[in-house]
Amino acid sequence: MDNCKYVRPFEEAFSLKTVNEEADRCLLCLDAPCSKDCPAGTDPAKFIRSVRFLNYEGAAETIRSNNPLGAICARVCPTERYCQKGCSRSGIDHPIDIGKIQQFVTDYEAAKGMVILEKGKPNGKKVAIVGAGPAGLTAAAVLLQKGFAVELYESHKEAGGYLRYGIPEYRLPNAIVDSEIKRIEDLGAIFHFGVTVDQKKIDELKLHFDAVCLALGASKGKMLPLFAGAKNVITAVDFLAKTKMAKGDIQIPDNVLVIGGGDVAMDTVTTLKLLGVKEVTDVVYETFAEFKASKKELQGAQKLGVSILDGYVPTKVEGNTVYFKHRTKESELSVKADLIILAVGQCTELGNISEITLTKGEAKGQGKVFVAGDIAPGEKTVVYAVRSGKLAANDIAMYLEGK
Amino acid sequence: MTKKDLSITFLGVKFPNPFCLSASPVGNCYDMCAKAYDVGWGGVVFKTIGFFIADEVSPRFDKIGKESTPFIGFKNMEQIAEHPLEDNLRDIKRLKKNYPHQVLIASIMGANEKEWEDLARLASEAGADMLELNFSCPQMTSHAMGSDVGSNPELCKKYCAAVRRGSKLPFMAKMTPNITDMVPVAKACLEGGADGIAAINTVKSICSLDLEKHIGMPIVDGKSSISGYSGKAVKPIALRFIQQMRQAIPNVEISGIGGIENWVDAAEFILLGAKTLQVTTGIMEYGYRIVEDMKNGLQHYMEDQHVDHLEDLVGLANKNIIPAEELDRDYKVYPNIDLNKCIGCGRCVISCYDGAHQAMEWDKDTRKPKCNHDKCVGCLLCGHVCPVGAISKGEIEFKKGRQGKRKKEDIIL
Repeated sequence: MDNCKYVRPFEEAFSLKTVNEEADRCLLCLDAPCSKDCPAGTDPAKFIRSVRFLNYEGAAETIRSNNPLGAICARVCPTERYCQKGCSRSGIDHPIDIGKIQQFVTDYEAAKGMVILEKGKPNGKKVAIVGAGPAGLTAAAVLLQKGFAVELYESHKEAGGYLRYGIPEYRLPNAIVDSEIKRIEDLGAIFHFGVTVDQKKIDELKLHFDAVCLALGASKGKMLPLFAGAKNVITAVDFLAKTKMAKGDIQIPDNVLVIGGGDVAMDTVTTLKLLGVKEVTDVVYETFAEFKASKKELQGAQKLGVSILDGYVPTKVEGNTVYFKHRTKESELSVKADLIILAVGQCTELGNISEITLTKGEAKGQGKVFVAGDIAPGEKTVVYAVRSGKLAANDIAMYLEGK
Repeated sequence: MTKKDLSITFLGVKFPNPFCLSASPVGNCYDMCAKAYDVGWGGVVFKTIGFFIADEVSPRFDKIGKESTPFIGFKNMEQIAEHPLEDNLRDIKRLKKNYPHQVLIASIMGANEKEWEDLARLASEAGADMLELNFSCPQMTSHAMGSDVGSNPELCKKYCAAVRRGSKLPFMAKMTPNITDMVPVAKACLEGGADGIAAINTVKSICSLDLEKHIGMPIVDGKSSISGYSGKAVKPIALRFIQQMRQAIPNVEISGIGGIENWVDAAEFILLGAKTLQVTTGIMEYGYRIVEDMKNGLQHYMEDQHVDHLEDLVGLANKNIIPAEELDRDYKVYPNIDLNKCIGCGRCVISCYDGAHQAMEWDKDTRKPKCNHDKCVGCLLCGHVCPVGAISKGEIEFKKGRQGKRKKEDIIL
């Protein structure tokens, strides 16, 4: 496969000129809606104003001091659902492209070699974090700034979780993931890789640490029972991981069926197209009116020529042909494909971890154990992982310092 | 298609339209001026000629922008023509021969009476239609020339008289704005024999600095100099000087210069009394082609104003600029907020609080402003900052006991 389109950014970044033009479009609102709508607490109104008045370094401080994964969120956040949703500029034409301004600012920060986050004065307390995905990394950064010693336990060989193994290279290059992790490492984080954590390990961590944060992601792609016996079926999570690890250098047949309509499905179909797959058909349970994926990602996929059929449920699988029925209309569909990718949701692999109690689908830790990431309440997006990492870190600090 | 006649007679010379290149880098040789004529400029002021041959620095320009507008103001260190005098005179001759119907003005600059007289004679012999005396270049390397002369009325008068001796052509004196009051200089020039005034030349400036090297821009081997500032940013200064001259010297004929780049700028200069208009910075940024929209836009404005002769617009606004002490201070105008247009950014509230009188109130739930008339002084800063033009002039209220017999509807807003 030709991987060059896959490893290049899908969208051109702002230059100094275009970022200034975009910042000039900002109306510099009195009570800016953008600054009230970020799950991670970002203050776009403040950093856009800094850009407007040529203070790029101040803008970087605003972003970084709030969000240790600022350069990542800039690239992957579905901003249309959050900060950009209430943008006053929409009253004139279209919202400010906040994500891209944030990307410019964090690129500027990197180019300047700025070090914004500072290690706190050691307070003699130690926290173990299980999972080095966005939630665990964020919790680590917050705790390290507060003076805690932090060790992270990760089952993979490298840190990043879904950032490294899920989000495609054209949206989030692993070089960016590396540099963001490096910042947290520089704060003093200690990583232990290839460690699978079960209840026994948690008990051990509880003995050696003052607190434990379980920052687990929904890393396992769901399979549908209907496809249990079918051949050439993989989950989108596995497909995206395989592709990203190989930098797009993988063999894929020319005719692929994707089932699912969330952001992961959009990443999957876009990846397939960028890798040069001729026939990419995406069949989605939701109709376009109910679509889950961000509009930007949907439009990107459509531009690349993905056939998207909305409102269909799979009913039968025969060999490599999948039969569908429309949910409301009298319409049937069958798609024959050489590869079937299921993007129908993810789940967590909690195994025998009894430390976590599940109530109404929300996970909660017990005693000195805290919860963050996809297992914590809230949407399953990177920005929510950052939010839950910050919240868990603050809870841990409160618990250990009583303030 | 508008067909309004843009021709105008200035100092007895008929211009096909009022738009001219000013004496500057944009009219530096035959080819440039010929192209400008071809594109439709009504006249050219050929770059100032003299016995002095300029020896220029590199680089020689700087600019100042605001937000994403790169060229609000422009700084230029060029002096007068770099080519030998004979070459310039030859170009003037050739231009007049090939473009007999467009106006050619020779800008001249001498260092003493004899030079002024000789240059006037030489330019006349070369075929120029008119002369412009450059008393105003702020970056000359000789203090016997340029704005040092232009701020000295006696010297200007003497040099005008010298030019009159050397030529029968109509001529205008080009003023420097680097002076508190331009009127005494303009009057001295007219007394010395000048037929009209050109204003303004550039404003002495330092445009920007290199923050790393601690040097003004542009940097010439580690140093820089004060030099002339032009472009849109100087337009208000030019308009003010023109108004003051028109007020002090009734019916003085003026060629307006200073930040003109579209028909609106042109109309403003004309309404304040300029008969012809000169442009450099706009051309340096966008090219000679800008004259197309200036001409066409001005023609449409003439249609809207129901005038057939450009002359009819000249100076219409002069009478409406009066001393501050004579303005009506008996009433205030409240802002009228169009809530359908308002997009709820709250900029009016910020500016009213931080820059005015804390009268604009904010409804946090609806995200809409409301003016508290008890606090509002009617300054209308809110209208200037509104990004969607939702705030206009609204209700008039007379200050207590000051209405007299006047009616609100008679107030011109």
